[in-house]
Amino acid sequence: MADAFIYDAVRTPRGKGKDSGGLYTVKPLDLLVTVLDALQERNGFGKNVIDDVVIGCVTQVSDQGACIARTAVLQSGYGDTPPGQTVNRFCGSGLEAVNQAAALVASGYQDLVVGGGVESMSRVKMGSDGGALFDPEMVQNRGIVPQGVSADLVATTRGFSREDVDKFAVASQDRAIAAIDGGKFAKSLIPVRDQSGITILAHDELPRRGTTVEKLSGLNPAFQMMGEMYGLDAVLRKAYPAVDKVNHVHHAGNSSGIVDGAAAVLVGSKDAGARHGMKPRARVRSVAIVGDEPVIMLTGPMPATEKALAKAGMNIRDIDLFEVNEAFAAVPMAFAKHFDLSMDRINVNGGAIALGHPLGATGAMLLGTVLDALEERDLNTGLITLCIGGGMGIATIIERV
Amino acid sequence: MTDGINVTIEDDIAILEMKMPGRANKIGKPFVAALDAAVAEALAHDGLKGIILTSGHKDFCVGADIEMLFGLDNADDLYAQLMEGHARMRKLELCGKPVVAALNGSALGGGYEMALACHHRIVINSPKIQIGLPEAMLGLIPGAGGTQRLPYLMGIQAGMEHMAAAQPVRAHKALAKNMVDAYADDKEDLIAKAKAWIVENPSPVQPWDQKRYKWPGGARPGTPDAMMLFVGASAFIYKKTAGAFAAPESVIRAVADGTRLKFDRGLEIEARLFVKLALSDQAKDMIRTLWFHRTKAEKLGVGMEHGIKKVTILGTGMMGAGLGFLSAKAGMDVVLKDIRQEALDGARKHCEAQVARLKHLGEETQAAILGRITYTLENGPIEGSDLIIEAVVENLKVKHAVNAELEPLLAPGGIWASNTSAIPITRLAESSKHKDRFIGLHFFSPVEKMPLLEVITPEATNEETLNRCLAFGKAIGRTNIVVNDGYGFYTTRLFGAYILEGVQLVAEGHDGVLVEWAAQTAGMVMPPLKVFDEVTLTLGRHAFETRKEVTGEVPDLSGIDLVAKMVELGRYGKAHGQGFYDWDSRTVWKGLKDITPDTPELTGLEHLQRRLMCAQAAEMGRLLQDGVIRDLKDAEVGAILGLGFAPGSGGPLSWMDKQGLRNLVGELRDLAANHGERFAPSPYLIDMAEKNQTFWGDWKAE
Repeated sequence: MADAFIYDAVRTPRGKGKDSGGLYTVKPLDLLVTVLDALQERNGFGKNVIDDVVIGCVTQVSDQGACIARTAVLQSGYGDTPPGQTVNRFCGSGLEAVNQAAALVASGYQDLVVGGGVESMSRVKMGSDGGALFDPEMVQNRGIVPQGVSADLVATTRGFSREDVDKFAVASQDRAIAAIDGGKFAKSLIPVRDQSGITILAHDELPRRGTTVEKLSGLNPAFQMMGEMYGLDAVLRKAYPAVDKVNHVHHAGNSSGIVDGAAAVLVGSKDAGARHGMKPRARVRSVAIVGDEPVIMLTGPMPATEKALAKAGMNIRDIDLFEVNEAFAAVPMAFAKHFDLSMDRINVNGGAIALGHPLGATGAMLLGTVLDALEERDLNTGLITLCIGGGMGIATIIERV
Repeated sequence: MTDGINVTIEDDIAILEMKMPGRANKIGKPFVAALDAAVAEALAHDGLKGIILTSGHKDFCVGADIEMLFGLDNADDLYAQLMEGHARMRKLELCGKPVVAALNGSALGGGYEMALACHHRIVINSPKIQIGLPEAMLGLIPGAGGTQRLPYLMGIQAGMEHMAAAQPVRAHKALAKNMVDAYADDKEDLIAKAKAWIVENPSPVQPWDQKRYKWPGGARPGTPDAMMLFVGASAFIYKKTAGAFAAPESVIRAVADGTRLKFDRGLEIEARLFVKLALSDQAKDMIRTLWFHRTKAEKLGVGMEHGIKKVTILGTGMMGAGLGFLSAKAGMDVVLKDIRQEALDGARKHCEAQVARLKHLGEETQAAILGRITYTLENGPIEGSDLIIEAVVENLKVKHAVNAELEPLLAPGGIWASNTSAIPITRLAESSKHKDRFIGLHFFSPVEKMPLLEVITPEATNEETLNRCLAFGKAIGRTNIVVNDGYGFYTTRLFGAYILEGVQLVAEGHDGVLVEWAAQTAGMVMPPLKVFDEVTLTLGRHAFETRKEVTGEVPDLSGIDLVAKMVELGRYGKAHGQGFYDWDSRTVWKGLKDITPDTPELTGLEHLQRRLMCAQAAEMGRLLQDGVIRDLKDAEVGAILGLGFAPGSGGPLSWMDKQGLRNLVGELRDLAANHGERFAPSPYLIDMAEKNQTFWGDWKAE
């Protein structure tokens, strides 16, 4: 198997995912074209050289329907020959797309592939594509609950208190704001502009300065009523009979924010890079995708990480920096606890609690974020992992070259 | 009292009468300052029930200060300005009081958009009042919320069509289209009705601020139904513009992308599209020619006296009859003279049909118009004409004979005009005893629809004759341009270069279908072969003969032979059902390939476009060289209004500027070397290029 190299990674800023958000007036198509064109401009590859464009997108209806990947290619400067496919692995879609790109290159079937993701949550509402996952028969059989309840179950089973998760959330805000103020995102962040070049949004819109544990403590748990009154906590006992009381700790302030955004990663073979005069920034050491228990749903990052480490012949201590998607505070906290890791190496520039989680794009964004952080700190190895709806986990290990 | 907008309170209702200094309420900085102050003054009134917005000028408001717009070159500033405007209109419609637009006169562009931001629109039902959003005419889209508000009232499809077609609607048709809400008889009635509406509707909510608004026409933005409408509309626009014209496409984008969003955010979509267009070369070129130059041309002849009470038209085909009708409508006595009774009968029918369309004038006036026209085979009735327009067959001898015979019938000081489309007026005047009162008046067909009048003044023509003719042109609704004499003067030469190049390309073996498409994608209103068919090929052939007879020279081109061959084959043109086209199927005649050589190696859309456009540019260079053009502005306006020269370019000179004269001269030299001397750049053009000059680079809005 050949090496898949990462030549570049870019993203748009993340705009608030509501009708007052900075990217609400921008079609997801244009968000995606922004990052595709930026990759081309920064790396100078010409027309008709990209072998495929794989794009993660979760809610593939309306503005995001009808294979937005190929549509974006047609609207970009890529020429007509690059095809496009849109993939849905729920919250793992963006990283799945990059992993598929890497797999295509490593297999030797393709030479230069763009992986990435897009999600305009302000324009295409989460869940507006309906879903087999919510089929009553299926829900009854498996005892599937809404994600927030699962997140509270993660916290409960790991013994995380409300204060623990709120502290984590404040740290995420502080780290994100420090990163923004320190220009840590500048390298990969592509401002979104209009037809005339007027800037529409050039910064991440979600982070809240001055967030404190005290302020967060005033927020009501978002899933308590759902869990207790509507019987969802009872449903959990189908899979977790010993949990007689769920500690509902999650709320809007310690869960990932709803945002709009897009990201793209250029993956290629060594030869392809040389052919187009590009220097690789990293190579993909291994990728992993796993399924896990679907009721607790959000613990997939652990087995995914273990699988990726095993494939790479690495130990958890070999990884310098981690990006564990902050779907809910309990997820990265459980991850750190499981591997006995210091938080100093996890989400060093904050995460989705502060910055937001544009579902289909996040995985690709995190890859760029960890790569920038490795370069900035002159470290070598990074691991990106996300929990995924339906009880899945995805991970990628990269290494600077 | 606010400067420019007078606020009076009657019955706790504030009447804002816009009367900006000058003759119109132009939306610019002084206007919006006045409006802000007036609205604030109204809202400060204790117990205010509502606001009436009306005008103290003839028009309500016919839009933005184009001069200001033309001068803008900073995208950020313009965007900020537009968003300020949006905020102003939002404030007005969300002020908590009913606001009524009382349209005492025309409301166009920004003026109508202001009315759209009112809760209710009442207009005086007069055919003289125009309503609508014609911004696309100048390469723009509405920029004060029109693209977002109008579809709520008219429906997606009708709203888009109105803005893309850029044709204002007369008041009497506006109610049925939902563009206004009520009619009034006069200004007094207008204010009374506005007051009554305010009293009956103390807290109206705009459709776009309602939660469950039912869209007219069914399709709701953001649904698959609406999406198909937008796809269909885009295709329909492309069919008309061949992609050469950005504004109508932007209308669709503004409606499609904007109306599906929260209303305030949709306004951003409009503003962004507007900025892009307003700063584009296309809009600047269109505004320069179709606003500034055209306005200037429209004024040519205004305030002058024609003193013509009686006009005779010799030759009563479509053109003669049309001129007779227009002159009679303008109050002149008309003699339509022909040598064939059938022609007179046809002319009478034509005039009657035209007059029948003027229902709004009333039967009495209609009868009076027809009563002023005399149809005659005799010379007697011509006696005492102040103006004789000769529109007989294009033959120098015939025209000389007619002039010699009938000129003596002119009233003292009367004017003789020829409607020839090509023969130099100086040559025609050889038979005249009053060369100072002999002039060329070149009208375009169909004369009721084509507003251009090309006035040709030989050196011998005196100033008074010219001025009287310009006044006459105005009287019959023309836009005048003035050019100097020469074979084909201005428009015919430019037009000839265009269609001859089209034919020449086919004669060289290029695909006729591609030739036509090349012209359309270059922005030409009519493709050359189709327009040749409409002119008829026999006429074209006759024109080549006349040219040879008059000037002694006709270019040696296989295209001219092809026209002769087509005539031999009985393919005369559209009226005969076949010419370059098969008119049954409206497609280019497949047989062309059999009578022309194999396709040359160098072909394709771009080559054909360059040939078609450069042939005209080269001719333009010679027209300048020959001194035919008296005023560059007239050249631009005339080419667009008379010939359908790519309106999006701003005219042939603007098009040449855009190529860069140095580039153009180089290209013309190459083309001349490879495809014939007709492409050779004139010394005038070469000189300009060497001095790095432009036609409009330094031009400032006057």
